[in-house]
Amino acid sequence: MGLTREVRVESDLLRRALAREDFLLFDGGMGTLVQQAGLAKVHENPDVLNLTHPDEIAAIQHQYVEAGAQCITTNTFGSNRLKLAGTGATVAEVYAAAAEVARTAGAPLVAGDIGPTGSLLAPLGSLSFDDAYDIFAEQARAAEVAGCDLIVVETMTDLLEAKAAVLAAVEQTALPVFATMSFGEDGRTFLGTTPAIAASTLSALGAAAVGLNCSLGPDELTPLAAEAAPFARGLLMAQPNAGLPRVEDGSTVFDVGPEDFARAMAPILDAGATVVGGCCGTTPAHIAALARLLRDRRPGAPTYRPAFTVTSAQEMTSLPAGAAQVAVIGERINPTGKKKLRAAIQAGDFDYLVGEAVAQVRAGADILDVNVGVPGIDEPAVLARAVRTLQATCPAPLQLDSADPAAIDAAARGYAGRAMVNSVNGKAANLAAVLPVVARYGCTVVGLTLDEDGIPSTAEGRLAIARRIVAAAEEHGIPREDVAIDCLVMAAATNQDEVREILRAVTLCKQELGVRTVLGVSNVSFGLPARPLVNSVFLAAAFGAGLDMPILNPLSARYADTVNAFRVLNGQDGGAVRFLENYAHAADPYDGPAAAASEGAPAPGPTGSATAAEECPVPVTDAFAEDAEAVRSMVSYVLQGRDAPMAAATADLLGRHDGIAIINDVFVPVLDEVGRRYDSGAFFLPQLMAAAEAVKAGFDVIRAQMAEGVAGEGACVSAMPGGSAATGSAAPDADRAIIVATVEGDIHDIGKNIVKMLLENYGFSVIDLGRDVAPEAVLAAVRETGARLVGLSALMTTTVGAMERTIALVHEACPEVRLMVGGAVVTAEFAASIGADFYAKDAAESARIATAFFG
Amino acid sequence: MASMGDTGREEAASRRVPAPVVGEGRPCALTASVKRREAWAFLGHRGQPVDDRLAARLEGAAALCERELAPRGIFRVFPVRPGVGGVVVAGTSLVLPGESIARHLRGCEYAALMAVTLGPSSEMVLRREAAVSATGGMLADACASSLVEQAAGVLNEFVDEAAAQRGCAPTWRFSPGYGDLPLSVQGSFLEALDAGRTLGMTLTAANMLVPSKSITAIVGFRDPARRGE
Repeated sequence: MGLTREVRVESDLLRRALAREDFLLFDGGMGTLVQQAGLAKVHENPDVLNLTHPDEIAAIQHQYVEAGAQCITTNTFGSNRLKLAGTGATVAEVYAAAAEVARTAGAPLVAGDIGPTGSLLAPLGSLSFDDAYDIFAEQARAAEVAGCDLIVVETMTDLLEAKAAVLAAVEQTALPVFATMSFGEDGRTFLGTTPAIAASTLSALGAAAVGLNCSLGPDELTPLAAEAAPFARGLLMAQPNAGLPRVEDGSTVFDVGPEDFARAMAPILDAGATVVGGCCGTTPAHIAALARLLRDRRPGAPTYRPAFTVTSAQEMTSLPAGAAQVAVIGERINPTGKKKLRAAIQAGDFDYLVGEAVAQVRAGADILDVNVGVPGIDEPAVLARAVRTLQATCPAPLQLDSADPAAIDAAARGYAGRAMVNSVNGKAANLAAVLPVVARYGCTVVGLTLDEDGIPSTAEGRLAIARRIVAAAEEHGIPREDVAIDCLVMAAATNQDEVREILRAVTLCKQELGVRTVLGVSNVSFGLPARPLVNSVFLAAAFGAGLDMPILNPLSARYADTVNAFRVLNGQDGGAVRFLENYAHAADPYDGPAAAASEGAPAPGPTGSATAAEECPVPVTDAFAEDAEAVRSMVSYVLQGRDAPMAAATADLLGRHDGIAIINDVFVPVLDEVGRRYDSGAFFLPQLMAAAEAVKAGFDVIRAQMAEGVAGEGACVSAMPGGSAATGSAAPDADRAIIVATVEGDIHDIGKNIVKMLLENYGFSVIDLGRDVAPEAVLAAVRETGARLVGLSALMTTTVGAMERTIALVHEACPEVRLMVGGAVVTAEFAASIGADFYAKDAAESARIATAFFG
Repeated sequence: MASMGDTGREEAASRRVPAPVVGEGRPCALTASVKRREAWAFLGHRGQPVDDRLAARLEGAAALCERELAPRGIFRVFPVRPGVGGVVVAGTSLVLPGESIARHLRGCEYAALMAVTLGPSSEMVLRREAAVSATGGMLADACASSLVEQAAGVLNEFVDEAAAQRGCAPTWRFSPGYGDLPLSVQGSFLEALDAGRTLGMTLTAANMLVPSKSITAIVGFRDPARRGE
C-alpha cells in the first residue's frame, strides 16, 4: 500500500532522506554502553530503564548525537506487551518515556524502535498472525503518540513476523516505516529468508526503507546489501555489528574498531545504502567515523530494478522487466475435475495438498497456484488455512486463485511473502474489489482480458482491456511491473482463428504495456485428440510470442521437455548446464521401441514380486481362489511396505472383486498379521508404519472407485479414510469418527501422527486437530463432528496437566464421549488417575481400543 | 521423466559455511552428521531384520536431514555458586534449583551453558516430510533427533576444551528436565545465551523449546584441586 499511503513527514531532514537527497545516519549499539554505565540489571527488561533511569539513557544517546547521529532509536527493543508483562510498565508508558529520553538527548529525529515479539509465529510456533499484528499495532500507535518521527522495525528473522510489524505500523500510523532483518553467515535468516526476499516483500508492503542489521560485521553484510539493493523499492538501510561477538574475560567483545568499521561501510554505501548506522558492539566512536565517511559522499542513483517478483519466506521467483526468462506455475492444486482433491479440501485433509505441492516443486514448478473453490465451503477460511499449511511445509511461492476478494484478502494477509493474486479482470466492479487487496499486501496480480462484454476475439481488443487493468492498478499504487496479463486461451477446436490472435495479444501486451504475461496452456487442446502434443506445441509457440509464465501441470513430461529446451534457447539455462544434466543420456522417445515406455507411467504388474508366495502368512479365501497369486503378492507388498505396487494390484483386483470383499478378505487379515508381528517384536515401528501406508494406498483406490459409484456430484465428499469404505457409503461417517490431538502446550506430534495413520488404516475416520490444542478446541471439535471417541497424546510431564483438563472438560460437557490417552510419559495408572476412559500403550493398542469401542 | 530446472528460484544451501571456529559466546555452525545406529534406536529398532527398501528410506531421510538442516550452537562460561533457591549462574538471571544440579555442579566454580538447534527451518522440513508420508516423517524425525544430539556432542568438545584451558575437568552435560531440574529455567537459560537472537530459539508457554530439535545443557568445570567438596 506504499505508493498511495499518506505519510506524515514534518522534518526537512527526514524529507530529504526519504527523497534520497541525503544520507540518514542512525545511532549505534546500546548494550555495551548500558553495561558500562552499570545499568545491566539482568532481572529487568532493559527498556524499563527509560522510566527508572531516564537521565542515564539520555546521556548515552547524547553521545551518539554528539558523534553525528541524526536519528536516535528509542530504547524499546523489547517493549511489547509480552515482554513487558510483569514489569508493571505499559507499552504506552515505555514509548512515551523513551521518546522523551531521546529528545532530551538532543536527537534531531527519533525512531520508535520495534523488535521481535520473542515468540515464533504459527504454524511453526504458537503466536497467531493476528495476535502478532495486535502486539505490533499497540507499539506503533504508542510510538506515534509519543511523538516519534518514524518507526523502525528491526532484527527480524521471521518474514511473517516482520510483515505483521510493517503492516501494523503502515496501517495504524501515518509515520514512515523502516524495516531491517537479521541474516546469518549463510546469507539467510533463521527461517531461510534472503535479503532479496526481505527487501522485495517488505518494501511492497509500504516500508520506506528496508535492509539488514545485526548478526554480522560490515564486511559480511556487504554482499547481502548488494543482493537486497535491486529489490528495495525505497531506501536501502544497513546497521552492521562491529564484527562478530566473542567472550573475553567474561564479557562480550567485538573486533572491528571505529576506523575499520567506517572503512568497511564504504562498499555498503556503494551498494546503494543511504540509511546507515551500527548495531551490537558499535559505539559513538564508530558512528563518528561513519559520519566522517558520509561527509564527502552523496547518495548514488536508485538501485531498484523493476521486476515481476513473487516470494515465499524462503524462495523467490523474479522476472526482471525486459529479460528473457520464463517461470512455471503449477496448476494441480485446483479441485476442478479432481475428485480426490475436492474430497480432501472438504474433509480438511491438507496433507494431501502438501503432497501435490511437493510433487510439483520436485518436477520443476516455480510458483504454485492454490485454488480451493469447492461449492459450499467457507472459502476465505479454507484458502487461508491451505496457504498457512503450504507455507509451513513447502517453500515455493504461491499464487492465490479465487474469484472471491474476501478469500484473497484472508489468504494474502497471513501469507509469509508476496503472493501472486489470480485474478482481476477488466470489469469495473472487479477492479474496484480486488486491486485494493493486492495493493494492501504488496502482491502481484494476474489480469484477465475480459470485461462486461466478454472476451474480445482480437488481439487489439484484449490489449485494450489489459491497458485498462494496468491503468487501474497504477491508480491503486500497484506499479506495472507487478502486473501480469492473461490473454485467455481458447480451444483450437472451437475458436481456431483465435489461437493466432491470442499469441499476437501476448506479444502486443509485452511490447505496448511492458508487463509479464500468463497463459493457462492446456485449454487450447480441448476437444482434440493427442492433447499433450497440441499443448506442448502451443506452449512453444507461446514462448516464442513472449509468454513469461505458463500455468500447466509440471508433472507432464512433455511440458517439462518444452520448458527445458526453451530455457536453452532463451539463454536462461546458461551454458545449457541443466539441460545437459537432464538430457545428455536420455533416450529420444521417438527413436526406437523404447518410445512408449518413456511417456506413460511405469506399469508395475501385480505379479511383479511374489517372492513370499510359498510362505504367505495370510490364507487366501475361497472367493479369491482364482486370484491367489495376486493376493499373495499384495500381502508381500504390505509386509514390505510398498505402496505403489499395492495401489496397482488393488486396482487390478477391483476389476474382478467387490471392494468390501477385498478389504475384509485381504486388507484386514494382513493388517492383523502386521499387528501380530509388531506385538511380538518381529517388526519395529517404521515397518508397522510402512505396512500401514501400503494398505492405505490400496484403501484409497477402493474408496475412489466407491465414490465414483455414488450417484450425483457433490455426494462423493469423503476423504476420511475408512469409515465410508467399510460401510460402502461415500458420506462422512460420524459413527466411526475419532478425534486425535496433542494436548495444549505440547508440540511433539510424532506419536499422534502414528496413531492417526494406523487408525485410518483400520477403517476409522480420523479428525486430526494437530498439536498444542486447547481443551476448548477439543470440545468444540467433539460438538461439531459428533465423534464419540477422542485420542489425546502428551510427551512431556509438564503438559499432562493439560491432558487432565481436556478430559474433565469433555466429560463434563459430553458425558457420552470416551477419551483414550497415550504418550511417552503416560502410564496406565496415570491415565486412570486423570479420568481417561482408555489407556493406549502404543499406536497398535489405540487401534485395538477403537475396534473394540465401535464393535 | 525429466524435471524442469528451477532457474529464477533461489537455491538453498548455496552458501554453506566452511570450517566453523567455535569460540565462547559466538554463535556457530556445527559440522555434524546423523548417526544411523542412533536414529534406528530412536525408532525402536532392537535387531529386527530390515529389508533393503526400509534401510534405503532411512538412509534417504538421514541424507535429507544432513542436506537441508544446519545445526548451530553457542556456549558461554559463567561463574557458578550455591545460593538461595539453587545454583546461581553469576551475571545472568538464571538460578538452577533442585538437588540434581547441585550435586552435578558440586566442586565447580564455573559452568558452561550451551544451546544447540537445527533452527526454525527444521520445523518446516519435518512438517513437510510428515505431510508427504507418515513413515517418511517418522524416519526424518528420528534422523533429526540424532543430528541435534551429534551436534551437541560436537559443541561439547569445544566446551571441554574451554574447561581444559581453565585447568578444569568438564562434567557430562546436564539438561533442564533431567532429575529435579525443572523446565521453567529454560527462559532465563535462553536469555543468558541470547539464544533467541543468536540461534532463533524460542519457548512455548509450557517451556518447551521451539524448534523442537534443540538442546540446552550445562557442563560444570570442576577444579581438580577442589575434588570432593
